[in-house]
Amino acid sequence: MAATRTLARLATRRIAARPASVFTRSFASVSDTHARDPLSKAAEKIDPKVITKPIPESQTSTIKEPEPGKDAKIKTFHIYRWNPDEPSSKPKMQTYTLDLNKTGPMMLDALIRIKNEVDPTLTFRRSCREGICGSCAMNIDGVNTLACLCRIPTETTKESRIYPLPHMYVVKDLVPDMTNFYKQYRSVKPYLQRETASPDGREFRQSKEDRRKLDGLYECILCACCSTSCPSYWWNQEEYLGPAVLLQSYRWIADSRDEKKPERLDALNNSMSLYRCHTILNCSRTCPKGLNPALAIAEIKKSMAFT
Amino acid sequence: MASIMRPSVLRQACQVPVTSQRMLSTLSRTSIKSSSPLSQHLRPSLVRTALPKSTRIAAFHATQRKQILPALPQTVEGTANDPTPVPEPEPVHGSYHWSFERIVSAGLIPLTVAPFAAGSLNPVTDSILCALLVIHSHIGFEACIIDYFPKRRIPTVQKASMWALRIGTLTLGVALYSFETNDVGITEAVTRLWHA
Repeated sequence: MAATRTLARLATRRIAARPASVFTRSFASVSDTHARDPLSKAAEKIDPKVITKPIPESQTSTIKEPEPGKDAKIKTFHIYRWNPDEPSSKPKMQTYTLDLNKTGPMMLDALIRIKNEVDPTLTFRRSCREGICGSCAMNIDGVNTLACLCRIPTETTKESRIYPLPHMYVVKDLVPDMTNFYKQYRSVKPYLQRETASPDGREFRQSKEDRRKLDGLYECILCACCSTSCPSYWWNQEEYLGPAVLLQSYRWIADSRDEKKPERLDALNNSMSLYRCHTILNCSRTCPKGLNPALAIAEIKKSMAFT
Repeated sequence: MASIMRPSVLRQACQVPVTSQRMLSTLSRTSIKSSSPLSQHLRPSLVRTALPKSTRIAAFHATQRKQILPALPQTVEGTANDPTPVPEPEPVHGSYHWSFERIVSAGLIPLTVAPFAAGSLNPVTDSILCALLVIHSHIGFEACIIDYFPKRRIPTVQKASMWALRIGTLTLGVALYSFETNDVGITEAVTRLWHA
């Protein structure tokens, strides 16, 4: 009986042979021998004194449009590339050329086309492609915006540059690490806090005027474009909450149904959380949804002043 | 990279092949022999185009690139699902500080204009102006120190610069006091400088 079981196991193993290694997702460190080194050793290899800016596009190759048609409108895109599987290699700017006649109107269309047809290793976040999810926030031509809401400038003479959100830890290519941002969002308790039940046992209702106070606040999609455009947030990311989180905080402070307004204000009443805002107004300038985080921060400051 | 490479050395290295090519080619040899003013004129441009573009740009990046407070490796306090710690409420450094700062800033505007508009020299307004100036500059520099010398990163530097600022503010206060009592005072000094 035991022998048959062993035989059966061998047989199933033979049958359920693993697919060829070409089709499996191998560990990315196979080709890079240094990637298997302990992290401390890899960190030694990274010399902080050498450049920290990406290798410019003049020193990297250009990946061209696969089949440029007749009267093609060739546009050049320089895209920030960094691969975590090669921790010792520097970030670089990779150049791609695309025919705008075959590409959709938005930057996200260009990125998706590059990933589909030219270079499948390009990595970026995207989801809704219509500016409601906030995944594709990145720095395009020097402005933090959503790639899906940013038109490709049709002038082919001008080259576009795409970077990840500034002053964030990069996971890969255009993907920033948002852990700290989301942890900060969680710290403002973004939910309704109420002790008392509603008088008639139904839902908590509010007047039209009270509801109108939330316009321009609830639309925020937490893409972090505003926070990462704020120099104050660049310098003190760990302690200063940043415009996006403060806007969300004000969304609950302004809510007439919320009963924890004093506690919410107390949580911001220190040197770092709120008052590192120096009204630089980059946040309102860059917001891809057209919101005004600076106004929300000013309202918080006003409600806390002289109290 | 570009700043580390010596552009001058590279330029020499790049020039050598150009000249050797010219030696081999009969056409260019004749042009050298003739040494017409036209070829003399052309040579520098020839050399310039033979240089790789990066080397030409590199000459302008002569300064060493040095980062101020480069980012440390990422650390996450607790798990990714924990909120960041909420600090204790300190109104003295928070809302009171902000309100006080705004009052001082707003008060400075009429105080700067008033003595010149009235055209009279009053020691009381003068002293208030001086006091507010000292406080205003102290708050401003304090904000700069908190912003640019983060406490969690370089606590000793922040402490030292804060003490330096306090000493500076005190010196400024004493200096303004002696200027007010022993000399003409700040308003009169500005008036004289204006008319000088």
